[in-house]
Amino acid sequence: MPFTATPIVGGDAFDQACRIGQEADRQLALIDDPAGQLACLRRHWDSLAGLGWLAVAMPEEAGGAGGTLSDLAALTGGAGRGGLPLPIAAACGVIPYLLADQPALLPGMAEGQHRIAFIPADAAVDEAADVPQLTPDGKLTGAVVGIESPPDPTHLLLVLGGAEPVLLLLPAGIPGISARHTLRIDGRPAADWRFTGLAVEPGWILGRGEAVARRAAEARDLGALLTCVEAVSAAGALLEQTIDYLLNRVQFGVPLASHQALRHRVAEMYVEYENLRGLVLQALRAAGAGEGMPWRDIAFAKLRLGEAGRFIAQSSIQCHGGMGMTEALPAIRLARRIMMAEFEFGDRTFHAQRLLDAARRAA
Amino acid sequence: MSAAIDYDAFRAEVRAFAETRCPPEIRAVVATYRKLSRKVWYPWQRILFEHGWGAPGWPKRYGGTGWDLKQRHIFDEVMAECDCPPQYHHGLRHIGPVIIEYGSEEQKQRFLPGILSGEDWWCQGYSEPGAGSDLASLRTAARREGDEYVVEGQKTWTSHAHEADWMYTLVRTSKEAKKQQGISLLLIPLNAPGISIRPIRTIDGWHHVNEVFLDNVRVPVANRVGEEGSGWTYGKFLLERERLGGANVAPALRNLERTRELLARELGGEAQRLKRAMLEERLLLAEAELRGAQALGQEAIAAVMEGRPLGLLPSVLKLGTSVTFQHVAEVALDAVGERLAPRFRPTDAAGPNAEAPGIEWVQNYMYSRVRTIYGGSSEVQKNVIAKQLFGS
Repeated sequence: MPFTATPIVGGDAFDQACRIGQEADRQLALIDDPAGQLACLRRHWDSLAGLGWLAVAMPEEAGGAGGTLSDLAALTGGAGRGGLPLPIAAACGVIPYLLADQPALLPGMAEGQHRIAFIPADAAVDEAADVPQLTPDGKLTGAVVGIESPPDPTHLLLVLGGAEPVLLLLPAGIPGISARHTLRIDGRPAADWRFTGLAVEPGWILGRGEAVARRAAEARDLGALLTCVEAVSAAGALLEQTIDYLLNRVQFGVPLASHQALRHRVAEMYVEYENLRGLVLQALRAAGAGEGMPWRDIAFAKLRLGEAGRFIAQSSIQCHGGMGMTEALPAIRLARRIMMAEFEFGDRTFHAQRLLDAARRAA
Repeated sequence: MSAAIDYDAFRAEVRAFAETRCPPEIRAVVATYRKLSRKVWYPWQRILFEHGWGAPGWPKRYGGTGWDLKQRHIFDEVMAECDCPPQYHHGLRHIGPVIIEYGSEEQKQRFLPGILSGEDWWCQGYSEPGAGSDLASLRTAARREGDEYVVEGQKTWTSHAHEADWMYTLVRTSKEAKKQQGISLLLIPLNAPGISIRPIRTIDGWHHVNEVFLDNVRVPVANRVGEEGSGWTYGKFLLERERLGGANVAPALRNLERTRELLARELGGEAQRLKRAMLEERLLLAEAELRGAQALGQEAIAAVMEGRPLGLLPSVLKLGTSVTFQHVAEVALDAVGERLAPRFRPTDAAGPNAEAPGIEWVQNYMYSRVRTIYGGSSEVQKNVIAKQLFGS
């Protein structure tokens, strides 16, 4: 029996997420026009909202399921394995975490009508001068790029850095905000947002001060952790599919799987996969044990995701030969997802920097 | 049973013992990568023995501690964290358990106490010039003459033979169609007539391995462990017990910490700021890998304790950590290589040993190359992993 990956957190939610992911991935691959793709993503968003995914981590008193980190890991893991091209870590984990003290907003989010794109304080910008800020007279200016979005975003959740951090929730489609929509290398929707002197209404400001920065940092680590779970799960599926391809692709009269060079490459992928899985599991356990986000464990896991994830993705493309360069195979779509995951919630240099700073301070 | 054990308290107890009872001069040998020898190991084994901790892996009735696997793992971890030498393994971890499992009552009484106290020093006579990874091809022959075997042949890569009293030795007692059959396990005193030992010069400049020549060496039949012709089974038993060796990542993490301190010491100047940053980043990547391996090691120990199969974990750990250990050694070499690599050996001394303060970093780098070769080379491990992953 060839290799089958074991989920980090298995169960019904994992299986369901995986099934929906595979379905969405298959349907999307058959649609050529962007409008059709967006409509397809929107259908899946609505159906997973209907299944209660978006309320998994919301408190019970606000109508949520009061789920644990483990429940979130099951969903993101299943979505990773199935290749679901929707921002599950952000929509089910990060954004509810940031808005946990806003009970009025939660029902709309849980039902999927509030589709929120999250813009962290250190979001990418094209020019340093673009970093969003509030002018002294309360106008929002600046521009961020490459923000992952749910389909048809209705709101923007924005953290402004600086001397006094601010948490803002804005309606997306109003004058003073413009968007340019793109697709990322993993095929998921993203957008560049520009704010041109938007007058911020007091009701949009959800919080101010050090607490906002602290909460946002915790939310980023939660996002990084869930992204790691998702990517490990994708990597497990990618390994399976790579092995399957090598067993079935015949050249020179023999399956590719008979060549030691390829077998050893797959063995190396497996060692990287296992090592990453160990780290992510460790971080997940530490986070589940309470007492705040285990930032160090998460930073190590995310750093390794950059290293191991890219090695696995690249190796898989290499093992698929010319087919590895096409968009036709689910395996290669998983590979691109793993490559993109590195840049979410802090890339490897971001997390390496944190760890190096800490090591220097300790020395 | 194990639910009642307070592992945190146990860890604290071991740490307190290591910190107060392991002599500083012994810990300094470990901390500076000087070569461990019987002279260093023996006094430490004696201290452990007198405390009742001489044999962490043995059952109580043979003088062991009776600890469970997790306690043994904690013990090994803390020893590494405190720079205590890992216990000399050939007696305690290798032949001792084989004698306990398969030896005669007389053999147990004769050999186990000496292993436990450290009075008897053992080495392993397995590999031969024509039998490395393919150990079953061994040709050293033992022919029966009355109550004795007469042993003729050559062993190689025999670590510590030059300071050992005994060699547990795989010999061929008959020629069978299947080469794993007809092998027996003999316990041979190294002062027996007909034995000569020659050092092998290795690239690290340390003396640890030897060639051992056996020229009509007479060994009493009473020194054979178990049945004649079943030596392969006993050898495999020993290797099975060692499969979790890769689960203890603590020595590698300690090594990494020492290397980090080396960078701060060696590259503290402003002119070396960028070099230090580059090397620190490589260390950080290695640390991430080691922490991943540490998590897998804990998974492996939990699996064994709960009676679940280990699957590919031992191979994954061996393959992964051996390479990471080498990466760390490379970082250290890059820190000191320009200064120390040219001073590897003095020209005015006959011995193979290197001299110059800090030269051990260079030696340790050279030595680290063996980690992907011994104990099942990386290529063998990849074959094992691929066979399982591909289903054939």
